Amino acid sequence: MEIELQEIYDYLSMQVPFITLTEASRKTLVNMIVIHYLRRGQAFPPSDIDQNYLYLLRSGAIDLRDADGNLFEKMNEGETYSSACVAESDDGGHGIASEDSLLYMIPCKVIQSLQDESPDFHQYFITSVHQRLKYALECRQRSEDAQSFMQLSVSDIASRTPISVSSDTSIANAAKHMTHENVSSILVMQDEQLVGIMSDHDLRSRCVATGLNTELPVSKIMTTELISVSDNTSLADTLLTMTRHQIHHLPVVIGNRPTGMVSVTDLIHQLGANPAFIATDIEKANSVERLVQVSRYLPELQLQLAMANSTAVQIGEVITAITDALTRRLLVFAERTLGPPPVPYVWLAGGSQGRNEQTSHSDQDNALFISDDMRPEHDAYFAALAKSVSDGLDACGYIYCPGNAMATNDRWRQPVRVWRKYFRKWIEQPEKKSLMLSSIFFDLRPVYGEAQLYEEVQRDMLSMTRSNGIFIAFMVSNALSRRPPVGFFRNFVLIHDQEHDHTLDIKHRGIIPIVDIARVYALSEGLTACNSTERLRLAYESGSMSQEMSENLIDSLEYISSLRIQHQAQQIRDGMQADNYIDPKTLSGLERGHLKDAFMIIKDMQEVLESRHQATRMQ
Amino acid sequence: MWARLFGPESKRLRLLKQSDQGPLLDFYRQAFVDTKTPARGVDYVVLDFETTGLDIHNDHIISIGLIEIRGFSIHLDTAWHQIIKSTRDMPGETAVIHKITDDMLVHGMEVEDAVVKLLQRMKGKVLIAHHAVIELGFLNKICQKYFNQEFYMPVIDTELLAKRVFSRHHQEIKSSSLRLFNLRKKYDLPAYRAHNALSDALSTAELFLALLNDLYPKQDCRLKDLLKGMPGS
Repeated sequence: MEIELQEIYDYLSMQVPFITLTEASRKTLVNMIVIHYLRRGQAFPPSDIDQNYLYLLRSGAIDLRDADGNLFEKMNEGETYSSACVAESDDGGHGIASEDSLLYMIPCKVIQSLQDESPDFHQYFITSVHQRLKYALECRQRSEDAQSFMQLSVSDIASRTPISVSSDTSIANAAKHMTHENVSSILVMQDEQLVGIMSDHDLRSRCVATGLNTELPVSKIMTTELISVSDNTSLADTLLTMTRHQIHHLPVVIGNRPTGMVSVTDLIHQLGANPAFIATDIEKANSVERLVQVSRYLPELQLQLAMANSTAVQIGEVITAITDALTRRLLVFAERTLGPPPVPYVWLAGGSQGRNEQTSHSDQDNALFISDDMRPEHDAYFAALAKSVSDGLDACGYIYCPGNAMATNDRWRQPVRVWRKYFRKWIEQPEKKSLMLSSIFFDLRPVYGEAQLYEEVQRDMLSMTRSNGIFIAFMVSNALSRRPPVGFFRNFVLIHDQEHDHTLDIKHRGIIPIVDIARVYALSEGLTACNSTERLRLAYESGSMSQEMSENLIDSLEYISSLRIQHQAQQIRDGMQADNYIDPKTLSGLERGHLKDAFMIIKDMQEVLESRHQATRMQ
Repeated sequence: MWARLFGPESKRLRLLKQSDQGPLLDFYRQAFVDTKTPARGVDYVVLDFETTGLDIHNDHIISIGLIEIRGFSIHLDTAWHQIIKSTRDMPGETAVIHKITDDMLVHGMEVEDAVVKLLQRMKGKVLIAHHAVIELGFLNKICQKYFNQEFYMPVIDTELLAKRVFSRHHQEIKSSSLRLFNLRKKYDLPAYRAHNALSDALSTAELFLALLNDLYPKQDCRLKDLLKGMPGS
């Protein structure tokens, strides 16, 4: 390469997918470039070319149209068109230069000869949009600067020799054994099967404190409701298990045979801020002030999880588990102050908390289902309870819901029979406006109290939605109201307000459209799951969504969410309030390319929904 | 027939008769392209000289940049950049613009050798340059000096093509609007930061394609249409 072509080399080096090539290959490529000029209105690809080329649009713009002449993509500066170089191309079509355009063309045979060199480069060409995105996700998971925390399984860090005693050992001897081995808990075995665990805590509370005879067998005081993890469980899931059950030790088992022990301390060596600890702190807290203190660790925790390369799904689950713990603790406080509830109730989380998809400090969405035994005079109790919890959550950083979808609102604090009426009205007489408001109530999840109060309503609600085509059509139309910004770069549809000028609202333009699609399928198939990833997986299993589309949407949701996590991690590091507004300029060329792929997948799915919806209307 | 008597080809034959030996004999032996050829089928060399100044008699060439157009596409594998040896000091200002230092010039190629190589690259093709009188003037001076003969070949000056575009649209022509940089801006061509003979040749090549598409949207012109009103035609 003539060094004077450095400028073209520099330009090429910034573009997907050339970024993945070595310097030497990129220099070779520069020599292979053929430059072509298209005047506005001329056909693309150029009609007079002698062989197949990859096209990199250096300047200008091109409208790509499908066989029916519909515009399906706008190609902008810096974008490549590689259809001719991809064996089984799925996006073939023809275009027209919508502006005067300068094309850099690289012969496909040159592209092919370079594919052996870089697996990433190779991947870009052999695969469809969907496979590219899947591959990008894998790359994120194994990115070099991330710790390997999430790739390790629990057997990698568990103690190799579990300390155990047989179930007929005396409490005194078991305690001596623990002291000798310097462990704080011991496994209890019977006929080579794990039957229980005894910890320092059990010794204190069930033996010493009660004055129990220490010559009795350990089986008298051991914990038998055993929670364990299998040896191939990921550290993230191990941590999640500890967080959910608020325990610090877990036996690692193969079948029912213990192979080791893992403690929260072992995990801490792998990861700094710890959700299990935070959950324990919440459990021990005795005042709202203490909860406020503890919840200040949440952004830090999210940052740590992001650095440990947890998936967005895992982070959502951990953060939500902590919000649930905070909510439950606040309800315990409220019941302490107000006395026991006059009739049973269940506290439900809606929105992202309901779906287990929270990031640190979103707003709060909640509802209260009260037993039908409720009498009018009981409402004062529940109003006070709701206010106390809602204020507490707000103090902890979960701001009041801007749409007032909270149990403090009289409408959303009702006996079961009223809730049944609400759901019936939403489903049987759907209105676009009311559905937008009520969509968070189709993502409810019991957090505290009598879960069956909700479960019965949910069962009836789902049997109504499953058989109601008009209602589903309304939900589809709601899901189609937010479109992903498919055209890229210049075409990136950016929101324009003072504070977030020239940024992309990744939540409303990327995440919510997928969440909405997942909800449509959950309601039309009668799925009880609330988590979007799970809903999409079940939609495939129930046969209503193709495996390919289900996997593609799950991958897209994960990819877009991981970009949000990455964006928020940077803000947290910079000491800023985390938000959803991403400046496209801060994304790498590769990230922009993958984000575009994800948007394309959403668009495809929306079109599938749209055509089905129209079919439904015509019937 | 008339083209053969009065066009570039008749001039070539005259010059061929006059030359007895050396690089120009070889150059003139190769027939020029028939001016009736569709312009798309012609091979073009786009040339740019960086010089110490615009005075052909007292200034000299610092570097040569060349790139070829075939089938109305620019082929980067044809890119050539050559620094010319100089023993004279270069004015400081020029060094700043071209980022070429005296040291580099000392290690450059002798201008005579460079022009021999250049003639090899250009024979049988059509020359394109922006404000071509500079390139033609320096080439002619060097050929007269070293090979005792006039330099001649069919040439398309992109500046004159641009003038045609302006007058076709009845637009006022300012000298500043005919500069390479401003013309590229008019056609939304990317701004190249670098300023050297090769990137200017590339810039000129891209501008040629833009002008061509503006004048002949169907690209159905013949070479003679492009050569109309050009120097030496």
